[in-house]
Amino acid sequence: MEELSKTKAQLDAEFSELYRSHLRDVYSYSYYRVGNHHDAEDLTEQTFLQAYRHFERAQRESDGRPLRPWLIRIAHNLAANHYRYRLRRPQAPLEESAPVAALHSTEELVAGRDELARVLDGVKRLPDDRREALIMRFSLGMDNREIARALGRSDGATKVLIHRAIKQLEEIVALAEEHG
Amino acid sequence: MSSGHEAGGLEPLLARVFPPVEPPADLSTRVMDKLQSISDHAAGELEGWELAAMRDPRNWVRPALALVGGTAAGAGLVLLRLHQRHRGRGGADDGATQVDGSEH
Repeated sequence: MEELSKTKAQLDAEFSELYRSHLRDVYSYSYYRVGNHHDAEDLTEQTFLQAYRHFERAQRESDGRPLRPWLIRIAHNLAANHYRYRLRRPQAPLEESAPVAALHSTEELVAGRDELARVLDGVKRLPDDRREALIMRFSLGMDNREIARALGRSDGATKVLIHRAIKQLEEIVALAEEHG
Repeated sequence: MSSGHEAGGLEPLLARVFPPVEPPADLSTRVMDKLQSISDHAAGELEGWELAAMRDPRNWVRPALALVGGTAAGAGLVLLRLHQRHRGRGGADDGATQVDGSEH
């Protein structure tokens, strides 16, 4: 009943707090999904605008659980739309916007950090859903339950997804070491 | 499989592969300004809509009908009460007559 009687000013204040707390998470996730700062800014903005429109309902339905997975789920869906749009109207090959490598300077990768380079390369070869789960885990520090809510999967399926992602990455890296 | 990556060997590397990315300084202000303008616009629209709606005579029909309907319902209720009260008094009189009649 208290939730229902919240004033607009209260809702706005709570949304501002949510925004301040999770701007970096949404931006990081967006950046790793779309691969460049320009699109990441757009995606972050769209995520928060969409979140604002549905904030009251999300609060009611969350039963007091944190709203970060909900925000990341919005960004996740918008990023998927972004990719579909890019695939229909390609402007630049998706390979060119490799987001992960872009964050690491050539010097960093060359200066005795072969292993990091192999992991970077391995991450790019993972299926999308496995890479997305790893971004949530390692960039945003989300636990299995949060990732499950963001991806719309069960806790068990998410645990398996992350386990398989790491396992596959280990195999790719090991193979690269053998051949390197 | 390389043993070097077993049991969390890869996980510290993954944390380095995916460092959090700081948003540009102006993004925060830009998004907040946009949200504020949406919020203000929504509030303004609502107030404006209510006032504008009452200036348009076409929108007077519903309130007028509601007023007429409410008045008619109220009047009906008053009449019904009066009628019931009247019948009640009449019934009491009839009873009295009957009692009187049976006594005689």
